[in-house]
Formats: sequence, structure tokens, C-alpha cells
Amino acid sequence: MNEFIQNLIPLVVAVVGSMAWLAVNALVLVYCERKFAGHIQRRPGPFEVGPHGVLQTLIDGLKLMGKQLLTPDNADRFLYWLAPILSMIPVLLLFMPIPYGPVLTGMEVDLGLLLILAFSSFNGLALILAGWGSNNKWGILGAARAVAQTVAYEIPLLLTVLAIAFMTGTLNLTEITAQQAGHIGNWFIWKQPLAFIIFIVAMFGETNRAPFDLAEAESELTAGFHTEYSSMGFGLFFMAEYGYMVVICSICSVLFLGGFHGPIPGIEGWWWMLIKTYALLFLMIWARWTFPRVRFDQLLNINWKWLLPLATFNLLATALIMKL
Amino acid sequence: MEIMAKVAFCVYTAVILGGSILAVSSSSLVRALVGLIITLIGVAGMYLLLASPFMAFMQLLIYVGAVSVLIFFAVMLTRAESGGDESGRVPMKTSVLGLAATIAPAAVLGWLVMTRPVESIAVPTEVSIKQLGEGLLSSYFLPFELISVILMVAMAGAVLLTWEKREGK
Repeated sequence: MNEFIQNLIPLVVAVVGSMAWLAVNALVLVYCERKFAGHIQRRPGPFEVGPHGVLQTLIDGLKLMGKQLLTPDNADRFLYWLAPILSMIPVLLLFMPIPYGPVLTGMEVDLGLLLILAFSSFNGLALILAGWGSNNKWGILGAARAVAQTVAYEIPLLLTVLAIAFMTGTLNLTEITAQQAGHIGNWFIWKQPLAFIIFIVAMFGETNRAPFDLAEAESELTAGFHTEYSSMGFGLFFMAEYGYMVVICSICSVLFLGGFHGPIPGIEGWWWMLIKTYALLFLMIWARWTFPRVRFDQLLNINWKWLLPLATFNLLATALIMKL
Repeated sequence: MEIMAKVAFCVYTAVILGGSILAVSSSSLVRALVGLIITLIGVAGMYLLLASPFMAFMQLLIYVGAVSVLIFFAVMLTRAESGGDESGRVPMKTSVLGLAATIAPAAVLGWLVMTRPVESIAVPTEVSIKQLGEGLLSSYFLPFELISVILMVAMAGAVLLTWEKREGK
């Protein structure tokens, strides 16, 4: 029993830590997103609450919590409220196996990469339940799009991850990081440049971010699958979306950019991981305000006609080189 | 830890049973599908308990993440309304027979398991993915390849069926 408690305490600490990390990230990222959007469009962005509007998201969050929870008529109540919870819960688990620093790892899992991929696939299910449960045409259309997209983009993403797994011979994220120790030349971005590009593109598709945000295209579907959600029902989807963004950017920095290792030997620590993750997050926000939204057939064509063959080719090439 | 394993077993069994009851008893197809998904998650938990996390994660990735989503698409596209020939009250005789059909195999299997337990180790040992891969590509090579042939045939068959329908129009 003593051993059990000893195992339990770090786990609880890790879960609470990732909850806090997720909430802080959501606050910071929403502010960054609105501020960047403002500056890209030559306006100041939020400015009124606090200096330079830094407290704006906090106030928005409070407003969101104070709102009434509405369930639409003829909606399937059970599925309608299951969806945001199902979207949110797995995110907390996803932060566990990511090594944020030499000691800052929630839980070292041998199959960490697979754990993340498995539990992040719950999100597609949550979106489709939300769309169907709310008994709304926009909702169903948005959900159908979201799922067609996430299922399609998951394949090239898995294939690139598999290429890295072939190279390293492990699915343990801590070990993958360890193999990139030393200087900047050891980072896998140099050995797998094609995989890196495919991963970046699939990343946008997988998180339903612009230019691939067909699922919640405001101009045609009002808000897609979360049209009917008010208050924290919407808030949970929103937080989950930002959570998935942080997770996938963290994985990208672990797989390709050396994780917590610095560009020169000797200086390693969680700050490198933070810088890399936030650089990637900035790239995602930047792309959102730079590229127009693609059409749905274009979106699927990019995936099935370009990303998938390229990822397959990359995987076969990796296997061949590994064998030689 | 043994008590925890037993508790976990009970929880997973409850999840599986609850999910399957939801799957067969709800009138809405989508709720039935949710029941199926809950059952699949419970089975993944059982795999974890058997010290094969790889199988558990694969179960979640493939069944929960992909297969059930595809079934959902099929349900959504066919506009399955709740209500139809089978939505009325079930006659008593059918229920009794259905219950018997459920209990009979469970009873036989349960009796077999209780009276003739298979020789097994108390604590399952974890098989690494490397061992798993070597096993699949050496001693179980033929079944592994046959499974892929079956999947291939199923896929080709599905394409063929839809093809004929389209020509008929």
C-alpha cells in the first residue's frame, strides 16, 4: 500500500500540474492570438483591460463562466453534454509523457508517443458527438467536416511519427529527446526535413486551425460543431483546442527540434522547450492571419494527393536508409 | 497491488457491461454507438490490466478513433430515425428467449473457466513491441499475412459492391 501511495503522489502532482499548465496556456495564447491578429491587421488588438489589455482574457473567461448553460430543444441532452467533457479530459493525459525538461516529465511512458496519438483521437469523436447532439444543421455539417479532416490528416501525421520511430527505435519521448543531445546538428529536423514539413502541414489539419479551419468556418457555418454551445460548454471546447495546439507543438519540438536540448552543448533546460513550443505556436497563429481558408475539396486533395504519398515515400526511404 | 488490480478489473467489467447494455437497449442508433465505444474503451482497459499497453493504445487509436467514427458517418448519412418496425414493445417470449441466448454461452464459458482453469502466471509480464514485431514476422508470419489478405479482399469487395450500384442507375 505504501508503494502504491508513493506511485500515486507524483501522478497526482503531474495531473494538477498539467491542468494548471493548460489553463495558463489557454489564457496566454488567446491574448497572444488576439494581439498578433491586431498587429498583423495594423490595429492594436485588445487594449482596454489592464496595461495593453493583458487582463482581457481573464475577464472574458469570467464572463464566459457567468453565462447561462443552454441546451437546445430536441437535442440529445446526454450526448450534448458528454461531448465537451470528452474533448477536454484526454488533453490532461496528453501532457503526461512529454519531457519538458531533464526532470520535468510528468510520467515516463515507454509508449509515450502512442499514448498521445491514441488519446488525441478522442477529439474527433467529441466533435462529431457535439455536432450530432446539438441537433443543428450547422453543427452536423461542421462535425462531418471536422471528422473527415482529422481522420484524413491523422494518417500522414502517423507516418511521419513512424519515420522518427524507425530512426530512433523507440516510442519513448524522453529517449527520443536524449538521442538529440549535444549540438544543433543532432536535431532530427536535419535528418528528416521532409517529415518535418509534412508534420507542420498535418498539424494545422489535425488541430482544425486556419487555413484548414473548415470545421468552424464562421462565414459559412456560423461556428460549426459548437454553434449551440454557450458558457463553459463552449469554453471547454476552446480550452481543448488550445490544449491540442500546445501538445502538438510540444511533440513537434521533441521529435524534430531536440526537445529541451539547446543549440550548443551544455545548456539544456525547460526554457528551450518553452521557446521552441512557443515559436511553433506563433507560426500557427501567424499562418491563421496570413493564409485564406482553403476549399474543402482542396483541403482533402492536399492530404490524399500530396501529404500521404510524400509521407509514405519518406517512410520507405527512411526504412531503406536504416537497413543499408 | 493485487487488490488494486482486482478493483480495476471490476471497474473495467462494469464499464464493458454498462456500455454493451447501452448499446443493445437504446432506441437511438447514435446512443447505441456511444455504448459500443464505451465497451471498446473498457476492453482497452482490460488490455492495460494484462500488461499489454501497446494493444490498449492500438485499441483506442483504431477502434475508438477511427472505426467508430466511420460507423458514425454511416449512421449520420443514412438518417437513421428512431422508430420503425423494431421500436415497438418486444413480446415476452422474445425477451425470454433473448435472455436465454445471452445466458447460455456465458454460463457454459463461465463453468469451463471455473472448473478447468488454464495454466497461467499470476502476474502478466509485459511484452515489448520489439518482441511483438519479431513474433509477428517470424513464428506468426503466415496468419499475419493472411489477415492482411482478408482485409484486402473485404476492401475490394466493398468497392466492387458500390461500383455495381452506380452502374445500375
